[in-house]
Amino acid sequence: MTLVTWALLALFVPLGVAAFIGLVVPLRRTGRPAALISVAGALVSLASAGMVLAGGSAALKPGVHATVGWLTAGTATAVGVHLDGTSAWMLLVVTLVATCVQIYSLGYLHDEPPPALGRYFTYQSLFLFAMNTLVLAPNLLQAFLGWELVGLVSYLLIGFYFRKPSAAKAAVKAFWVTKFADLGFLIGLVTLYAQTGGFEWTAVTPAATFVTLMLFFAVMGKSAQFPLHIWLPDAMEGPTPVSALLHAATMVAAGVFLIVRAEPLFEQAALTRDVMAYVGAFTALFAACVAVVQSDIKKVLAYSTCSQLGYMVAALGAGDTFAGYFHLSTHAFFKALLFLGAGSLIHAVHSNELKDMGGLFRKMPFSGTVFVVGALALAGVPPLAGFFSKDLILEAMHHHGLHVPLAALAIAAFLTAFYMTRTVMLALFGTPSHAAEHAHEPGIDMKLPLAVLALLAVGAGFLGGPLAGLTGHDYAFHFTPVGGAGTAIGLVGIGMGYFMFGPAQGGAAIKRGFAPVGAFIRYGLMDRLATVAYGIMLAVGAIIAWIDRYVIDGLMNWSGWILLVLGRRLRALQTGNVQDYVYAVALAVVVFGAWGILR
Amino acid sequence: MSADLQPLMLDALLTGGLLLLLIADLFIKDEGKAVLADLTALLFGGLFAASFFLDTSGTAFSGAYVGGAWPLFFKRLFFGAGLLTALASRGFVAERFPRRQGEFYLLLGACVLGMSLLPGAQNLILLLVAFELMGLPLSLMAAYAKTEDAKGQDRDGAEGGLKLYVVGAASTGITVFGLSLVFGMTGSLEFTGLAAAPSSPLLTLGMFLTLAGMSFKIGAVPFHMWVPDTYQAAPTPFVAFLSSAPKAAGFAALAAVFLRGFGGAAEAWVPAVLTVTTLTLVVGNLMAIPQSNVKRLLAFSGVAHIGYMLIALAIGDAEATGVLLFYLAGYTVTNIGAFLVVNAVGGRDADVEIPLFNGLSRRSPGLAACLLIFLLSLAGIPFVVGFWAKLYVFLEAWRAGLWWLTLLGALLAVVGLWYYLQIAYAAYIRAPADDRTQPVRLDPRTRLAVAVCLIAVVGMGAWPAPFITNALDAAAVFLK
Repeated sequence: MTLVTWALLALFVPLGVAAFIGLVVPLRRTGRPAALISVAGALVSLASAGMVLAGGSAALKPGVHATVGWLTAGTATAVGVHLDGTSAWMLLVVTLVATCVQIYSLGYLHDEPPPALGRYFTYQSLFLFAMNTLVLAPNLLQAFLGWELVGLVSYLLIGFYFRKPSAAKAAVKAFWVTKFADLGFLIGLVTLYAQTGGFEWTAVTPAATFVTLMLFFAVMGKSAQFPLHIWLPDAMEGPTPVSALLHAATMVAAGVFLIVRAEPLFEQAALTRDVMAYVGAFTALFAACVAVVQSDIKKVLAYSTCSQLGYMVAALGAGDTFAGYFHLSTHAFFKALLFLGAGSLIHAVHSNELKDMGGLFRKMPFSGTVFVVGALALAGVPPLAGFFSKDLILEAMHHHGLHVPLAALAIAAFLTAFYMTRTVMLALFGTPSHAAEHAHEPGIDMKLPLAVLALLAVGAGFLGGPLAGLTGHDYAFHFTPVGGAGTAIGLVGIGMGYFMFGPAQGGAAIKRGFAPVGAFIRYGLMDRLATVAYGIMLAVGAIIAWIDRYVIDGLMNWSGWILLVLGRRLRALQTGNVQDYVYAVALAVVVFGAWGILR
Repeated sequence: MSADLQPLMLDALLTGGLLLLLIADLFIKDEGKAVLADLTALLFGGLFAASFFLDTSGTAFSGAYVGGAWPLFFKRLFFGAGLLTALASRGFVAERFPRRQGEFYLLLGACVLGMSLLPGAQNLILLLVAFELMGLPLSLMAAYAKTEDAKGQDRDGAEGGLKLYVVGAASTGITVFGLSLVFGMTGSLEFTGLAAAPSSPLLTLGMFLTLAGMSFKIGAVPFHMWVPDTYQAAPTPFVAFLSSAPKAAGFAALAAVFLRGFGGAAEAWVPAVLTVTTLTLVVGNLMAIPQSNVKRLLAFSGVAHIGYMLIALAIGDAEATGVLLFYLAGYTVTNIGAFLVVNAVGGRDADVEIPLFNGLSRRSPGLAACLLIFLLSLAGIPFVVGFWAKLYVFLEAWRAGLWWLTLLGALLAVVGLWYYLQIAYAAYIRAPADDRTQPVRLDPRTRLAVAVCLIAVVGMGAWPAPFITNALDAAAVFLK
């Protein structure tokens, strides 16, 4: 079979599965059999993606383009698959994480009623199809179709707990905000077509700056960049595996992938790249601040995702496509791991709140360990996955002279390490809460995906070289001062987190272990410094979180409210009296007549 | 003579069929009259099929009527809409108006006949006659639900019909006045003669008045006020028809007068059309938001859609007109489908409020899925026909330099999601009321009609190429 056949298999098997279990109602209502079919479909999709990649970089390097004509008349365009290193690798990442999440969901949603389970897996399969449509898109139009479909399915998946009003509300909000941002995609698309007569990724046009700015607006919505990130924290109302799949690894990364894919367009637009660098860096810092003060473990991870997406966008803004893409891949693995790990903690204590956890490590050594692995990878501890890609991003910012964004990203790196340590300490160590006493490890169906993702979170960093070769870039890890400083900052963050939230005896161990700083500690200087620094951080985090909740979010609600009021005002014109209607017609005719004569 | 009748073959068959229906109505007793619905459906179905085999090209009435691809496209649309309406009306009409069934279908047929004659008209007289043949039955049908049942429900029926009639009469007067000015200034009733006339203030006034009168028929702002009241009051299966096919006929008339007649004087009327377009887009979308009555909501949504179609009209070349035809076809199947679902869910309730849809996905999952797909199509989400219709309009507008209408239209399309999602939200997320947990009852013919709409909406969305090609071919008569 050719590469294209494998790719089509990866694309259409999930669609077939979704249609099959979606339309055969009795099967869907049985729940578990439908779920197993869906998992099987995801596995086939994953295997096919593997076969595509096994085709080797030799075949993928020039890119394989297979399309059929679609909208023949008027707008000549095509649908099909475009395979090169970038899309083949992304296909593997997406199908791999999706498969892990689906297997994990078997255990996580064990208690759901069978019809709901069947529905959930229908959406899961449909999501995989939508995402693959986007990843394999040979042009921007197909990408847009996939993009919209992904948004629609995410609406269904977030609203899965539709009996929970907050989940339903969050689903509507997510759909609305991203849909609003999608305006940018549509306008970019229309402009591109008007300028070039097509929707090609590689189009060359003088309007590139406008087109890419519009596309970036859509990316800000999908990839949760400030100030369009407001839907992401709310979307945590959905089931945790959904958060892992959509809000960590795949859907939110679609925006970043779009920029990677449309690199030739973005290369023509220096202004857009600058905007991206600053927006990305600001989001990274802003979201990291907010993450520090969250009390809900999923919200911490949600803001962390915003922040990490900010890193990717900033890297792409600096013009280093590979750095952004590399971080996208490693982040997909370790963030999915963190979400699924958090899911298994939530599953054990039946609460998202950190205060209901604590001391879980002893009860759940496996889940605890993989969660710590994910946290370390996110914090950028060498040699875990996050270290390599974050290092590369910081180095890229430095290399391109973007010092302000670099500083923001460096501070964010510190905060990331700090809040992850805080989360780990509060959830896994310390005093067990009442709920945590009865916690126990999940079953094998949840452990297996965790193990796979943990391996990747540890090892994916070493895939940088092959990945660069696949996508036609050069990459070999080498130590740089900037990267080293970034890592050091991360370690300081971990240390500070440990100091503030670690067990008392841990603090004592530090005091014993670090003799050179012992003198400071004895005078209480370190203590005070840490307290003051933490106080400032807490205050800043709380203020920013407040602004986020009430100002940014409020603006969104306010614009909706304005529309509603406008609609109501206009409604007063609709009196119901036929005389008034005739008057209105007459008035309009007079205006029209006057215009007609006077012009 | 036979050569003269060739382009009017379908209309002649329709007239003959209607006469047979009239006679049949006399001989069928009240309790058996429901069969008239099936006969009407059969008639429209047969005509729809025949339109693919009969050659209807050529001219008739000494050049007053010209057949070909352009009228044929519209005829198929009208016959299709008539077929769906007849199918879906059977149960409703038999139950509500058992003694007045025959007239309903005759009026429907007469209305379709008027519409069917319209797109081929080459002069103002035939255009006007066809227009009125369409309009009068519409007023009568809108008023059909006059106080009929014991509970005294539907008293609004007569009111809605009267509104349509009064405002319609005013607008017809305005149209005729405008057209008489046009005739006075050009000395011609033929569209081809209009094009040759030199411009003058009175001619422009005539154009504007004609535009105002015709804007009423399609429900463009500020001539839209009858739309929500009439939709709310009229029988829902009829509203499905009223909201779709007559709008298409209105656009056929606008295209005839403004593109064919005044195509050369575009700079005179395009600003006025753009003003109406902008108003229609904004008011339609905004006023749909606060509506709690689903029929009124869909009425304003329809007004908004007219705005999108007016963009294509304002561009005015053959390609944009083809896009307009595609939009009309997509809008017709989507809107009829949506109203038929509303009819099924609303049942005997006079006021179809959004909470009636609560928990529809649990009561009737299939029907809820159909509704969702129709709503997505109205909102313009990919893979259903509404998306392509909007995308094509936006592409055309941008190409023609009307980029600000693309921006406005796209922005308002997002606003549109708001009100469409309100219904979807009720259907999928809210729990059903305690007294409404049973599946919605649907008679087999309505089921068939909804299924046809669904197949059309999804089919045209999944593979739009043949349809857009067909529409562009039909609009090729406007190639300059």
